[in-house]
Amino acid sequence: MKILFINNDGAGFADHIEIADGTTVEQLFRKRVNQGSPADYLIRVNRQPASSDQVLQPGDRVSFTPTKIEGAGRI
Amino acid sequence: MRFSPLAWAKLLFLRDLGPTEVGGFAISDAQDLLYLEDFVLIRQECSPVTVAFDDEAVAEFFDAQIDAGRRPAQFARVWVHSHPGTSATPSRVDEETFARVFGRSDWAVMAILAQGGQTFARLQFHTGPGGSLQIPVAVDWSRPFAASNWPDWNQEYLENVRPDEFCHHQKFREHAGPFSVSEMLDVLADDSHQFFNEKGPT
Ligand SMILES: [Zn+2]
Repeated sequence: MKILFINNDGAGFADHIEIADGTTVEQLFRKRVNQGSPADYLIRVNRQPASSDQVLQPGDRVSFTPTKIEGAGRI
Repeated sequence: MRFSPLAWAKLLFLRDLGPTEVGGFAISDAQDLLYLEDFVLIRQECSPVTVAFDDEAVAEFFDAQIDAGRRPAQFARVWVHSHPGTSATPSRVDEETFARVFGRSDWAVMAILAQGGQTFARLQFHTGPGGSLQIPVAVDWSRPFAASNWPDWNQEYLENVRPDEFCHHQKFREHAGPFSVSEMLDVLADDSHQFFNEKGPT
């Protein structure tokens, strides 16, 4: 089945990919992210926060986006 | 790295609009990723010396940009924020974010614009042997550019920039004109308020 997958790592990715039926969010993460833990990302399915065991459905939009982007001045 | 006059004007306008730092992403030309066409604020919580993006707002920004037909390399590689005072030198927090968040991308730029006008930009890349270098910042006048749009920029600021606890401190609220660094330190030293949670800016 096909899903729309959005990932900022590496060259960045935003396209449809083919995945096996029954794939969970966690399985997709392990397959597509080489380093880091799911805690370092905001993982959303169809623009809603997703649990790791959520089973993906055809046509889902899945995004792994960065978290804790913080800057500070020097004082 | 070159800003379009529009992106540069918008960045300066937003930097100077309120009492806090501001941050966002620059939008690159599809064919020329170091030519920055626009600057977009992300919903954020800010103090005069800090800026923190809302994680969900970052995800929404990705969704909106992809729906507009852009790819991540065009909208999520040039991280821009302002500094109070005259120094655009990155802080410890800036370096930590740049390594942790942007270290996972093939390349990224940390760009800082100080209130006093100083700029800083560092390109890091992780393809081949990897490396990083400081790059010059310029405004590129050689292409056509759109006019300023203060009402929309103002609205974008109001919708995205939320002053944090620092700005609710009485000394800050009652202050007229720019806040000096020593005045900031006075507020930060006030034990009755817990700023920046357990982590202070450096
Ligand atoms: Zn900074």
